[in-house]
Amino acid sequence: MNGFARDLRAEWTKLRSVRGWVLALLASVVLTVLVSLLAATASSTDVNASGEFVVGPGGQPVVDDFHFVHQPLTGSGSITARVTAQRAVQESARAGVMIKDGTRSGAAFAAIAVTPRHGVRLLSNFTVDRTVGSGAAPHWLRLARHGAEITGYESADGSTWSPVGTVDLRGLPDTVEIGLFVNSPPEVRLGRQAGSTSIGELPTKSTATFDNVRLESPLEPGPWKSEDVSRPVAKPIGGDLVQAGGVFTVTGSGDIARDAPDDDPVAIGLTGFFVGLMAVVAVGVLFMTSEYRRRMIRTTFAASPRRGRVLAAKAVVLGAVTFVAGLIASVTAFLVSQPILRDRGFAPPAFPPASLADWPVLRAVVGAAALMAAVALFSLGLGAILRRSAGAITIAVGLMLLPTIVSTFLPLPAAKLFLLVTPASGFAIQRAKEPTDALVEPWAAISPWAGFGVLCLYAAGAIGVAFWLLRRRDA
Amino acid sequence: MILLPRAVRAEWIKLRSVRSTWWLSLAAFAGLVATSAAALATLSTTHCSPVPPGCDEDTVRLSLAGVYVGQIAVLVLAVLAVSTEYSTRTIRTTVVACPTRLPVLAAKIGVVLGVVLCAGALGVLGSLVAGRVILPANGFVASAGYPPLSLADGPTLRAAASTVLYLGLIALLGLGAAAALRDTALSLVTLLGLLFAFPTVAAFIADEVWRDRVLRFSPMAAGLAAQATKRLDALPIGPWPGLGVLAAYAGGATVLGAVLFRVRDA
Repeated sequence: MNGFARDLRAEWTKLRSVRGWVLALLASVVLTVLVSLLAATASSTDVNASGEFVVGPGGQPVVDDFHFVHQPLTGSGSITARVTAQRAVQESARAGVMIKDGTRSGAAFAAIAVTPRHGVRLLSNFTVDRTVGSGAAPHWLRLARHGAEITGYESADGSTWSPVGTVDLRGLPDTVEIGLFVNSPPEVRLGRQAGSTSIGELPTKSTATFDNVRLESPLEPGPWKSEDVSRPVAKPIGGDLVQAGGVFTVTGSGDIARDAPDDDPVAIGLTGFFVGLMAVVAVGVLFMTSEYRRRMIRTTFAASPRRGRVLAAKAVVLGAVTFVAGLIASVTAFLVSQPILRDRGFAPPAFPPASLADWPVLRAVVGAAALMAAVALFSLGLGAILRRSAGAITIAVGLMLLPTIVSTFLPLPAAKLFLLVTPASGFAIQRAKEPTDALVEPWAAISPWAGFGVLCLYAAGAIGVAFWLLRRRDA
Repeated sequence: MILLPRAVRAEWIKLRSVRSTWWLSLAAFAGLVATSAAALATLSTTHCSPVPPGCDEDTVRLSLAGVYVGQIAVLVLAVLAVSTEYSTRTIRTTVVACPTRLPVLAAKIGVVLGVVLCAGALGVLGSLVAGRVILPANGFVASAGYPPLSLADGPTLRAAASTVLYLGLIALLGLGAAAALRDTALSLVTLLGLLFAFPTVAAFIADEVWRDRVLRFSPMAAGLAAQATKRLDALPIGPWPGLGVLAAYAGGATVLGAVLFRVRDA
């Protein structure tokens, strides 16, 4: 057997034969699952029952507010228009042409539009929103329907047209609404009141002028109708249409986008890790410090004089064991908590069922296990540096948990910065949704990989310093 | 009882002759002041409307935010005062010298509380001084509804005094738990978990009723409710009942520790 394999075996024997550590690891799994269960039982939401709630064609929660100047189109046809000018405060405000299944907010649609700063965009059914050209107003746009296929075209001069994308809207009825649309997403404002940071949305509007509007339809084109498409509750700012000769001046407000609630049932179902981690910290620290307290370290180094290799063997054994324990805990917590959360309002359509087959969910669940392993390695490193359990445990637990508490009452920009300089930012990996500024917990505002990366840097740094000290110091 | 003064003297010699006592006292003081100052430095009036009274910041509470860090040093100090006797086996000598064991524990509590309350009071004063300097520099001035921090103000005095009291109760909790558990690592992990787990888990609970229920039973969140000087009706628990919750934890741990210390072999 070569040297490293022998060291691995020795360290594995040490880890599994100390009853307290095995119990601590078991306790960490049990605590993680139980606390996750408690958090799931104590959470509830009624967002699905809210009147403001709009569902898109795929069943996903969306926001669908804009101003629509439209008339019916039966069968195949197209609309062409030139956006001559766009006046907007928001860089992503849109002005363009649209085909939509009626005027109900959330209905299926396809559209092509110009924006002040985000190029020409092709949109469809709240799932497609991509840049298809670099122009801004003045610009020519065309949308043509042929059966279920809708193709967008753009042109700088109205004579040379290039197709920029086709979307397949299967299930679209024969008669749809076709026309011009204008929207303007609300401005997101950070507010601070009563000692906490809040996110406010301020509605905005934008105005665009269109000319050369041409509708090709199997039937004779009729008069244009102008109306706000919006969720059931009234919009704060309404749009309008001023038509003079062939020039349409359209004003609109609101956004067309996916709008999932910020709460993440996957993260709620992994809450127990905040508690379970503490037992793992203890095992990680003691795996190193107890060698010093019992003077075992001299025997260890006598048997295996290459100290770096001993530390590496400890790290591999501890990392693997805590990862497996973490994985058992996270998968169990996930499977147990999700049905409870579903019963308590975290249900479709606002919350599509979370499945381990989805990458963000898998990332969160496996990431939680990796978080456990990274924390164990950080603790091991601290234990080797300080050689005292009290100091190492206190620093590890303090650095992991204190920032999560203190950051909740700091102003949000400071809270984010504060988290990013501590290993506590690693908790960001537990979210399966996009980062958001809108929640109480600031680690939800950090990208999962950035947060986890900071934790890994801490772990690598601690192990690195430990490696250097271990070789330099007397045992 | 003639025993007690002797026991106090012995415990004081043990406590003061260990270097970590002074490092940890210094850490408690410095942690209090430095963290408070850092928390205040992040405060700005940029997002307030109207600027700055619209934010309605609880500047007293933020000035005492350092307690979150300072309490860790206090907890470690208290745990080590008991648990190192077990890891070094000094406890046998101690109980041989003083066979009626309860005075030993009482003396330990007395000397540790003395050190902790001194460090805590100095740290709280330092934090308030930091607040007096930093707050006006960040735009929180008297004309905007933020008079300079002063202990002559009733709620401020209550917040400051309760913070010192909080640190004392944390020390009592540490002493009691360490006497019951007799192991440094086990005591620290258990106590840090008890302190930090509740508020962190509460942050994830979307249901407000349940969130308040969890916070009401949290020794840290309930104990620090007494730091609030604004929006007292929005607290999960009132200031003094909150300290009562922590006192119940600390008292329970002390009684348990005392009973086990009395009946078990050392």
